[in-house]
Amino acid sequence: MYDTNRLENAVGQDDIKISARKVQVFYGDKHAIKDVDVDIQDKTVTAFIGPSGCGKSTFLRCINRMNDTIPIARIEGDIKLDGEDIYDKRVDPVQLRARIGMVFQKPNPFPKSIYDNVAYGPRIHGLSRNRAELDEIVERSLRGAALWNEVKDRLQEPGTGLSGGQQQRLCIARAVATSPEVLLMDEPCSALDPIATGQVEELIEQLRQEFSVVIVTHSMQQAARVSQKTAFFHLGNLVEYGDTDDIFTKPQDSRTEAYISGRIG
Amino acid sequence: MTDFPMPSDASRKPSKSSLLVADARTRKRNAAEKRFRAYGAGAIAIAMLALVILLTTIIGGGAGAFRQTYLSIPVALDAEVLDPKGNRDPAEMSKVLTLSYGRVLDAAVVEAVKANGIEIDGLTPKDMSGLISKEASAQLRNRVLADPELLGQTVDVNVLVNGRVDGYFKGRVTMESAAADGNTSPEQLKLANVLKEGGMLVTRFNWDFVTNPDASDQRPEAAGVGVAILGSLYMMLVVLFLAVPIGVAASIYLEEFAPKNRWTDIIEVNISNLAAVPSIVFGILGLAAFINFAGLPQSAPIVGGLVLTLMTLPTIIISTRAALKAVPPSIRDAALGVGASKMQSVFHHVLPLAMPGILTGTIIGLAQALGETAPLLLIGMVAFVREFPGAPLEGLFDPATALPVQIYNWTQRADPAFIERASGAIIVLLVFLLCMNVLAVILRRRFERRW
Repeated sequence: MYDTNRLENAVGQDDIKISARKVQVFYGDKHAIKDVDVDIQDKTVTAFIGPSGCGKSTFLRCINRMNDTIPIARIEGDIKLDGEDIYDKRVDPVQLRARIGMVFQKPNPFPKSIYDNVAYGPRIHGLSRNRAELDEIVERSLRGAALWNEVKDRLQEPGTGLSGGQQQRLCIARAVATSPEVLLMDEPCSALDPIATGQVEELIEQLRQEFSVVIVTHSMQQAARVSQKTAFFHLGNLVEYGDTDDIFTKPQDSRTEAYISGRIG
Repeated sequence: MTDFPMPSDASRKPSKSSLLVADARTRKRNAAEKRFRAYGAGAIAIAMLALVILLTTIIGGGAGAFRQTYLSIPVALDAEVLDPKGNRDPAEMSKVLTLSYGRVLDAAVVEAVKANGIEIDGLTPKDMSGLISKEASAQLRNRVLADPELLGQTVDVNVLVNGRVDGYFKGRVTMESAAADGNTSPEQLKLANVLKEGGMLVTRFNWDFVTNPDASDQRPEAAGVGVAILGSLYMMLVVLFLAVPIGVAASIYLEEFAPKNRWTDIIEVNISNLAAVPSIVFGILGLAAFINFAGLPQSAPIVGGLVLTLMTLPTIIISTRAALKAVPPSIRDAALGVGASKMQSVFHHVLPLAMPGILTGTIIGLAQALGETAPLLLIGMVAFVREFPGAPLEGLFDPATALPVQIYNWTQRADPAFIERASGAIIVLLVFLLCMNVLAVILRRRFERRW
């Protein structure tokens, strides 16, 4: 399994989607992220692992500027999407977030119908000219999130009435409906049972065909299962970044080894 | 250590007693819980009792205001007296004073007594003429001026009866109290009894209480809350159209958009403090700002509405902010995550979710404003107003009064009949408040069902 991954990595090696250089994040006086350099490749699943509070979610939220909503957060360094600095003064975070979708830790569907949940993004970005096109986008997104067969007969029912796993897949459908280029997932399976987790992981594998996926996870097994690249964060530092099987089989740093063998974390 | 007697094995462990017998500790805890429940039930019982007493007092005292005694008698409209020039010109006829109509009515009562063969010892003409309300002559005059053809005819009129006689049928006035009263006499009451048996005096439901304007001290039987209801309604309209948009917009800005710094902290503290400012202070502010400085008319609903707006704003802002705060942040994240702008996330997702809370707060604020008296006293709403204000918007600048002020006003008057009127007005006010609360509940249900 890992062999094929490596083969694909070798093919897409040059397609760097996001490149971060010397990223620092401060929450007030707290230095949450220190000097993070990372290159995230296109059509690849990149996993961020590390113990709680190590800054992996913080860094993820820097990529689509969700940290802008936290008044005390301050970000230095640069993060480039396709070579363009996303923290440039001219960048409107709204436009950026349409290109970088996000799925959150807890399923957070809007308290609206399933259809409206998925259609909301395309509607506000004007991606469809008429109802038929919108219907098509909704269907494609729900199919993409492996949810279509379960909900196609009850699109007008509230999204909050679905089970936890379905809600999370609905959130994924909502995120992919705006056709983003990158999909950020912040511990998408932490609130789900093993079966729902399995479905979401399968989905991530499919999504990789179209997007670059960045996933933050607590579970090392999950990182090993779904990702081609893994970054290990510890106390705000990016300790090690490389191919997933390299990280798990022959880690270079003693801290990485300690973490994956269960001695710290 | 050895000084202590070693406890035996059995007493060291919790004693293994029967589950069927509660031990001392459990009994104590259960007793405490029972006591607490008893306190709670007692508190609620006291509250219910107070409510029942309040309602029975008010309804008992005020229900009479909705029933009024009327006298039906034939009146000969003497053209000589009422149209001395004889040309039936309303302009000429309007020069005839209400006093003359009073004399015509007085004569009609005397005539009716004579025609029905009623004889009561010691019945004076003053007793007979005093039977009908002073308001009756004005009503008759209006009727004749509207239709001059009535002159010279004998028409059946249905006139208000004096407040004392009306009070006699409601149990407020007795023969004993009438004997000591300069405004009525036992003979007058006897006459009223006889007329009632003859079917000429009728006590019936009184819509006029709701539609009539206020009346002067001498004629409590004619006083109504019409102007007060209209004035209160106009003020509520002003509050609704000013306080709600301003309050909701201010809270959305403060809660969602404003940077969190020292200035917003100061504003926040000030809003909380404003909610605690005594309402009469807002009245002084209104007097200074709207009447003395801006030159708006006194006693006008627009000024009352503006003052109540100032008073209601903190309530609305505080409750709206609480409702916005209660919306889970994950919804905002979700909206921002799919690329909604801050404003879209607020207006598409946060605001609809906060709507039930906002509505509740708004209606509580409006209800508070509806019942407010003190600030209105200072801006001249306490004036005696008999003219109905015009239709909005001009009507907002006409003098009017308000329900709570009308209640306050009536409780100041000497005639006990006004106590009944005041209680009646309280019933009207409570009905309005009840309607608003029902509306709040309905709206809340509607908005909650959408999700």
